[in-house]
Amino acid sequence: MFHALVAVKQVPDTTNIRIDPETGNLIRQGVPTILNPYDAHALAAAVEWKQKLGGKITVISMGPPSTVTTIRECIEMGADRGIVITARQFAGADTLATSYVLATLMQYVHEQDPVSVVLFGKQAIDGDTAQVGPGVSIRMGLPLVTYAVKIHEINLEENYMVAERKTEAYNEIIRTPLPAGLTCEKEIAKIPYASLPNLVYSLKYEPEIWTHETPVMFPLDQIGLKGSPTWVFKTTQPELRKGGEVLKVAEMGVGPAVKSVLEKIKSSGVLNAVAGGAA
Amino acid sequence: MPEMEKKDQEKLSFDVIVVGAGLAGGTAALMAARAGLNVALIERGQTPGGKNYFGGTVYTHAMEEIFPDFWTRMPPLERPATEAGYWFLSETGLTRIMVGGGELSRTPADAYIGLMAKFANWWITQAQAEGVFLIPKTLVVDFIRDSAGRIIGVKTDRPEGDVYAPVTIICEGVNNLLTQKAGLIDHDVKPERVALVVKQLISLPTETINARFGLPDAEHGLAVSVMGDISLGLTGLGFIYTGKDNVSIGVGVDLDVLDNHHVRPYDLMQHFLKHPQIAPLIAGGQMLEYGGHLIPEGGWSQMPKLYADGVLVAGDAAAMVNALHWEGTNMAIIAGKMAGEAAVEAHKRKDFSAGSLKVYEDKLKDTFILKDLKQYRNFSKFLINHEDFMSVYPTFLNEALGKFFSGFGKPKREVYKNILGSLTKRKPLLKAAGDILAFGRSILGR
Repeated sequence: MFHALVAVKQVPDTTNIRIDPETGNLIRQGVPTILNPYDAHALAAAVEWKQKLGGKITVISMGPPSTVTTIRECIEMGADRGIVITARQFAGADTLATSYVLATLMQYVHEQDPVSVVLFGKQAIDGDTAQVGPGVSIRMGLPLVTYAVKIHEINLEENYMVAERKTEAYNEIIRTPLPAGLTCEKEIAKIPYASLPNLVYSLKYEPEIWTHETPVMFPLDQIGLKGSPTWVFKTTQPELRKGGEVLKVAEMGVGPAVKSVLEKIKSSGVLNAVAGGAA
Repeated sequence: MPEMEKKDQEKLSFDVIVVGAGLAGGTAALMAARAGLNVALIERGQTPGGKNYFGGTVYTHAMEEIFPDFWTRMPPLERPATEAGYWFLSETGLTRIMVGGGELSRTPADAYIGLMAKFANWWITQAQAEGVFLIPKTLVVDFIRDSAGRIIGVKTDRPEGDVYAPVTIICEGVNNLLTQKAGLIDHDVKPERVALVVKQLISLPTETINARFGLPDAEHGLAVSVMGDISLGLTGLGFIYTGKDNVSIGVGVDLDVLDNHHVRPYDLMQHFLKHPQIAPLIAGGQMLEYGGHLIPEGGWSQMPKLYADGVLVAGDAAAMVNALHWEGTNMAIIAGKMAGEAAVEAHKRKDFSAGSLKVYEDKLKDTFILKDLKQYRNFSKFLINHEDFMSVYPTFLNEALGKFFSGFGKPKREVYKNILGSLTKRKPLLKAAGDILAFGRSILGR
């Protein structure tokens, strides 16, 4: 049976985000949270293939208790089972600690109920690392296709998948045995508009809550802040590019304007380099 | 297995359907749920209030009628309206008629300044806590009728989107598409009976707002209607409401006036914001929001029939707005309550016919809602027939007071003559007296 396992993340809607200029921290207050858009498209791909092959979809997410809302949104889109991994002990996890916890629990899901594909968004819009998908896949021992833009074929009888990935120069079409991991671009599938019964069902849905103790007991020194060798100690905003200097020919006349431009070019050193090259 | 549950679900049925999670809809749904009914509240926006755009006043009497303990529930309000009144603008001048203290210094205050997106969301959360089932992100497009033509449910824009209930309460807001489909009114909102309001939400530090508007602290707020040189000589009203760290400022003009004079709403807005008396109040502020919303100002004459077999209508969809007093949020809450109660009574009688739901209108007749709307029924017509009312008199008022307080060292008889002249150059005296009389009649409902 087709079983897609999709890892998702609740993120702040970064289109609304502001940074406190004094402390350099993100202002999270009042910023709505959303399902990470890349994850939504990864889930949409799973929904598309569930429609073709039958089977089911499990979504799993690590985050604060409010992640329940995000899971409900996944159920609305067509997921069948939702799991929230939440505990104070997980707080402050970097991509290493996150990948470790997710891989362990996703392996647990896989052992109970074998998985055909494991899907991720290519990255989360709040961290932009693109590390957790690969980190989990390698820990689970899965072949991995990153930056996937299309799933051409999933063949459960012969146990393989054909997927297309995007690189800067060209697209690669890759055949891989199942189960396989996939990190997805938005092109992979369109977000479906849920039926009303699905929406109503999702609004009442209570996801399973997993912690640092159940169903797997985690060593406390390998999770959360303690299990994280990296941490963000400062956030800054890149300086805005300043606009160029404007010389108004109408005011200063053509001659002085050209002269002034030439002087500026000379003093910047650009002209010497170009002239030297030509000579 | 969840999969099984999904398939087992037959048709979606509730005791009551409410369309639109604003103040009217939220309250109607709450009253029905409070009586133990199974209520679906269907909202097209991502969240309740998400499709609204409002910064203005909400009223304590209405909140208390629904939640006697509303004050302890910490509603997300901006400031109490401790100072209220009218500002009259001429081209460069400003005359203020404001009242503060006294009646306006009660705690809790009679009116609070709020932002609807936040407030409606909170209001609906209270309703959900009492059992209302909110279905967001879903647009109701039509009704389901039985063979006799009675409304027995709604169709939504989602696949498998039908929902059934013996009674539906329409609280769809100003754009009355469903009210029409229910057969309660036979036309779209008329452009001469609806105002287009454009508003900016401007962020300013709390202390700056306090200083510029003369407020001692953030527990004091200002609610102002502005007339005169704001709407380029057209019939329109400006408004200013102070929030904690924001100012709602905007202008509303009848839609047909904009159309007839080929005026763009954002030009009006700019004209208002650049007025020499207004600009310094918001200088240096950061614009957080800029948007527009329609307000039904037709009142009595534009009211739909309020009930039919299996259906009721409340709030903006029923034109429940007092254009002069800018009351609307309280009408929505009280009418919503009565619609909800009528649905409960209909369930007790197991009779959802028009005759059974008529109790809604009977109740409304005893409230300020229908009494006021009836009394003010000619007011919007008055403005249509006296297009220059809002520009001539505020300008005159500024000139008259300006002359009175600047004519030093001149014989005073000359000053008075001058003042009279500044009126008569705009309006013959008889005409002016007639205007005042007509205005009086229109608000007294005679």
